[in-house]
This record gives sequence, structure tokens and C-alpha cells, in this order.
Amino acid sequence: MKNLKPYRTAFRVHAIQETRYRGAVLGGVVTQGAFGAIMVALYAALIDPADQTLLRETVTYVWLQQILFRVLFHKDSELSDQVMSGNVCYQLLRPVDPHTWWLFRAVAEKVVGVAMRLAPMLAIQLILPDRYRMALMDGPVSLAQFLVSLGIGFLVIAQINLICQAINMITLDSRGVSGMINLVMMVLSGNIIPLTLFPDRLRLLIRYQPFAQSLDAPIRMYLHAMPVREWLLNLGVQLLWLILLWLLSRALWRRNLNRIVIQGG
Amino acid sequence: MRYVMDALRMNLRAAAQYRKSFLMQCFSQLVMTAGDLWAVLLLMERFGHMGHWEPGQILFFFGIMQITFSFTEIINRGLSTFSSNMIRSGGFDTVLLRPRGLLAQVILSRADPRRIGSILVGAAAASFATAVLGLRWTLPNVLLLLWSMAGTVCLLMGLFLIESIVSIFSVQSIEMVNVLTYGGRQACQYPIDLYPRPIRLLFTFVVPIALCLQAPVSLVLGRPILKASAAAVWLFPLTGFAFFALTGLFWRIGVRHYRSTGS
Repeated sequence: MKNLKPYRTAFRVHAIQETRYRGAVLGGVVTQGAFGAIMVALYAALIDPADQTLLRETVTYVWLQQILFRVLFHKDSELSDQVMSGNVCYQLLRPVDPHTWWLFRAVAEKVVGVAMRLAPMLAIQLILPDRYRMALMDGPVSLAQFLVSLGIGFLVIAQINLICQAINMITLDSRGVSGMINLVMMVLSGNIIPLTLFPDRLRLLIRYQPFAQSLDAPIRMYLHAMPVREWLLNLGVQLLWLILLWLLSRALWRRNLNRIVIQGG
Repeated sequence: MRYVMDALRMNLRAAAQYRKSFLMQCFSQLVMTAGDLWAVLLLMERFGHMGHWEPGQILFFFGIMQITFSFTEIINRGLSTFSSNMIRSGGFDTVLLRPRGLLAQVILSRADPRRIGSILVGAAAASFATAVLGLRWTLPNVLLLLWSMAGTVCLLMGLFLIESIVSIFSVQSIEMVNVLTYGGRQACQYPIDLYPRPIRLLFTFVVPIALCLQAPVSLVLGRPILKASAAAVWLFPLTGFAFFALTGLFWRIGVRHYRSTGS
């Protein structure tokens, strides 16, 4: 078992760094709260009032997506700064695996980011009229399933973020390709429209694509505790995609780190 | 006027310098807006009619809103980078020394022509909707639409201007304005009468996108959302111009209090 200590340190340092961004938390809560309210209002208008279950589920789905919004993106510009300034060579000289290092940082950012926003976002729920409020989870089993799946989901998104970073390493243009990947991720992870609202003919495709393994899978478990077999199936799909994305992201990192041109320094 | 043309030419040429990157980013914008469009189409497929609106009409709302917003983003670059580009680096001092209007300089200093990809998607959606609905492009209709889009562009610019004014005084960016602009786009993609009262009131009286854009559009569609005469609807876009004029006033007050951070 390789020594995890440097990676745990990377996690802790970046986690502490993330707690400094308190102003961003307020801004994030206001934005996600407002967008959540707009979307929830729209769906409440569109969904047949007789179908209370669908409405409650959709509302809960939307709010969970907004609460977990910070998880989707990676605001760590340090890697691109390092590449631009040439300091990346110091990072590469260290006896740690860069890919794992940045992975731990990414996960730290997500965990702390969500934790910091959790209380205010839940507070918003309390001031909403009942119609627009999210529901509680479907029992303790549901909660357990949700948390396990969410953990894997964090790792899935982290790998997608790392893939984007690998692309940016070479192109140095964070707006082009990774912008598109981010938009695709927003739509296909259920942030723009709940995946549960997608038309039936797309159901299979939508459920098993990699982006759905990030937030959609855990949210569905939150909404309904799954029977064991179904749960294992969903978990299996998540893990499968996690492994595939992990391999891809490692391969891209290795390839791009070898090709990196040290600028300046 | 010649100043405006020179500024436009300069901005276009700057974008064309890195042609491949520019085209790539245009394409990226196109894809992103296509994603928004896809979301609308999915909802229409799932729900059919939205309230009492037909899918074609929803598509038309979406298209016009996209065109308007994306056009605003094209000319807005100077304002949105105002705080980072001019205040923090002290570049505003240079602007103050020039014998030209301050606001005009700031706005014309930069443009974001990449958004043309988004405009294309919006235009495609609106055109398709026109075909599906059998809308007739009469001269009054076209003029009303252009007039209302111009008013909405001014309204949105006024909102972004508020952000710039705040940046003169503090480093904080106010998220509230982002909620009103980007949230406004998100919300007003769909007819405002779908929403509950608080949101309707917000976008009718505080940030009158519903007045400037949706009321005229709904008139063109033949299903007005407000009980107002056609003449009144023609007057609504004036609220957008008025909003911009008002925020422009605050801008002038803010500039008077500007203290340079040095350069």
C-alpha cells in the first residue's frame, strides 16, 4: 500500500484553503438558491397538479442538484498557473504521483465546498412555501445508499475535471473544449433538467451515460430506497464508469505531462 | 460616430487574430446554447403544451430571448471586464484622461463576438418557430420586435452597469445582479405568466424584461400576456431605455467618487 501521507496532506491543505472563500459561499448560495427557485416554480407550473408525487420528486431533485452544485466544477487554477509560469516542473520533480495529488485536491474542494453551503441552502428550504420545498430522504436505507453513491459520484466528477485539466494543460485555453465538456456535464448530470424528466425513449441512454453517474444516481437513491439488486446494479454502473474515467484520465495525464513544454522558469 | 466604427473594427480585428481559437470558441458557444435549446425541446416533448402556450410559441420566446441576451453579451464585454480590466489594474485612469464619453469608451473598449454562435442558435429557433406557427413577418411586427429587443438590450446593459458601479467602490461582486441577469434569461426563456406571482412581479416591475421583451413578443404571437392595448405595448420597451438612463446616472455619480488604485 503506497504511502498516502503526502496525498492526505494535499487534501487537508486544499480543504483549509477552500474554507477561506467565505464570500464565495454567500454568492453561491444566492445564485443557486435563486436558480433553484426559478426552476422549481417552472416545474410546479408545468407538472399536472394531480401528480403530487412527480412534483415532489422533481422539486427535491432540483434542490439536491443546486445544493450539490459546487461539486460539478473545478475552480482550482493552480495547475494552469503552474503550467504557464513553468513552476509545474517543481511539481513534477516531487516523488508523488501528480494525478493522484490533484485528485485529492479536487475531492477536498468538493467536500468542503458542499459542506460550507449545506446549512444556508437548507435554511432556504425552511422559508419556502411547502409546495416548493424538497422532501426528506426515503428512510435510513435511502440515506445510506445516497451517501455511498454520492461518494463515488464525487470521484466520478473529479475524474472528469481532471480530464478537462489534462486537456487544458496542452491547449492552455480553458474556455474552448473544457467549456463544452462542462456544459455537456451540466445537462447530462441532470442540473439543467432533472434526468427523471427526460422522455422515456431516451431513458436507457440517459441513465447509463457517464455524467449520470455523478449526481443522478445518488439522487434517485435519495428519492426512493432501492431494493438490494437494483442498488447493486446502479452502484456497479457507477463503479464501472469510475474505473473507465480513471484509466482515461491517468492516460491523458501521463501523455500530456510528457509532452508539456516548460514555459519560462 | 466614427469613433464607434473604429472601435468595432478594432474589436473584430482583435478577434480575428487568433482565428482558429476564435472559431473554436464560437463553436463552443453554439454548442452551449444548443444545449439550452435541447433542454427546452425536452421539456416540450415531456409536457406538450406549457400552460396555454403551444410548443412553437415557447420556441419563439426562447429564440428571441437568446438573440437579445447573446447580442447584449457581445457588446457587454467592456462592462463586464470593467472591474478587473480597468479598476483593479488602474486602466480607468487612461480612460478618464481621454476627451470622449466615459461610458461609451468603457463599452466600446471590448466586444465578445464569439457569442455569434449563440445568436445563430436563437435565430434558428425563432425561424423554425415562425415556420411552424405560420407567423407573418409584417413590417409593424418586425419593427416592434427590433424595438423591444433594443429596449431589452439596454435594460440588461443597465443591470451589468450596476455591477460595474459597485466595483468602483468595493472588490465584492454582487451576486444579486447575476441572479437578475442570468436568472432573468433562464426565467424569461418561458412566458412569464407560467410563473408564480413573486417571480412575475420581479420581472415585470423590478427588472421589466416581461414588459420590454415578452409583452411585445406575445403581441406578435397574437396572444398578449398583459391586458394592455397595442399602443401601450409599443411604449413598454421605453422602460428598458429608462432603466439604462437611470443606471447611467448612478454611474456618473459613482465615477465622481472614483479613487484610483494607481497603475
